[in-house]
Amino acid sequence: MGKSYASGTILLTVGTKRGLFLLSSSDRQKWDIETTELKGQRVFYAILDQRNGHRMFAANNGDFFGSFVRYSDDFGETWQTPEQGIQFPSESGQKLQNIWVIEAGRPDEPGTLYAGVDPASLWVSKDNGVTWSANEALLNHPTRDRWEPGAGGLCLHTIVADPTNPLRMWIGISAVGCMRTDDGGATWTFANKNTRAGFQPDKYPEFGQCIHRLIQHPTQPDTLYQQNHCGIYKSLDAGDNWVDIQNSLPSEFGFPIALDNHHPDTVFVIVEDPEARNNVGDHFVVYRTEDAGEQWQPLTAGLPTGHGVRLGVLRHGMCADTLDPCGIYVGTNTGQIFASHDRGDSWQLIADFLPSVYSVNAAII
Amino acid sequence: METQEKAPLATIVLPQMLCDKTGGRKIVTVSGNTIRAIIDALDHSYPGIKFHLCYETGELRTFVNLFVNGKNIRYLQQLDTPIHENTTIHVLPSVAGG
Repeated sequence: MGKSYASGTILLTVGTKRGLFLLSSSDRQKWDIETTELKGQRVFYAILDQRNGHRMFAANNGDFFGSFVRYSDDFGETWQTPEQGIQFPSESGQKLQNIWVIEAGRPDEPGTLYAGVDPASLWVSKDNGVTWSANEALLNHPTRDRWEPGAGGLCLHTIVADPTNPLRMWIGISAVGCMRTDDGGATWTFANKNTRAGFQPDKYPEFGQCIHRLIQHPTQPDTLYQQNHCGIYKSLDAGDNWVDIQNSLPSEFGFPIALDNHHPDTVFVIVEDPEARNNVGDHFVVYRTEDAGEQWQPLTAGLPTGHGVRLGVLRHGMCADTLDPCGIYVGTNTGQIFASHDRGDSWQLIADFLPSVYSVNAAII
Repeated sequence: METQEKAPLATIVLPQMLCDKTGGRKIVTVSGNTIRAIIDALDHSYPGIKFHLCYETGELRTFVNLFVNGKNIRYLQQLDTPIHENTTIHVLPSVAGG
């Protein structure tokens, strides 16, 4: 009999610099930490896809022998590799550097998954992860030869498949920006108007922005939020235009962004000192807005403070669960996981001494 | 009638990290006249193992080292390094860290 969890368990899949860890809880207050058989390797991202049973997917980037999608049907005890994985054709001249993200497809397309990699490309599986193929339109985009990498490479790190429109999807590529398809991936257009590229001579180019993370409002599908290298933005028209919502935040720079599914004007960000890439000042703070970015409130109860507190959080290092009140989970580059079971009002340290955390995702079993 | 010369047999010593591709075997034997041919033969016997050693372009991965009878192929003829009978090839990841 394989491993299992009781119904209602909150399960966090935590990708780190040295392996995948699972944190589980029945009440979001007492947590158990488990290792998996993905040990010692860089796991950029991991999700539990529950549309067909409980299949866990991980972006497994080895230090030496390549990058591979792995999947497990027993909560990480054993892992399989796709029959036809993510691998560019030899004649393309492209070399897979890292797999950054794997997302389950829409609820009405069970068996479909999407993955984003460096060099920037979108990969699709329609058989529950067993075989993968590249989106050709993005690979052959007419502007591709002018795309420049960010510090993490030319990575496609964010995928948002519109659940209300099977033909629409947004992707985030650093440092290219937000792109959208409205025809099921046949063509891709840029969606960066009014987002700033402060590091370029032209501050508002058509593309070249360093988007860090993009999320979609759960009930208003044209409403998007993004954390960018240069600002925090909201779009009310599916990315055609963006509005800067940094307002009172002490920095425009940060990586993750998450929202409360039951109160989607409630958004969480963690902004950082852009040079040091950790908290601004001596207090590690999560910021919350309850009015879609008009005002931001620092959340500090239970989060560390003091001289020398310098925590950084990467783009996939924060997530919300789907309960009400929502839980928020934050993994740091120094191996801590902080959790809030009350939409950020209070926090507790639920794991420490982990390897550097790359990603945290929450699922309710 | 001309007969085709049989390619030399080489012994490949694999790191533990790759043994799941060979059914747990740490030492395997394949035939080939060059390292490139050896890698192709390995991939024929153990499908998928080539992509662990080489990029899609066919180049050897940056942090993978192949030693032919103790010598790193990067200082020989790289993937074209010839193989002779009874050659031992070690596959080793680069030393990482301090």
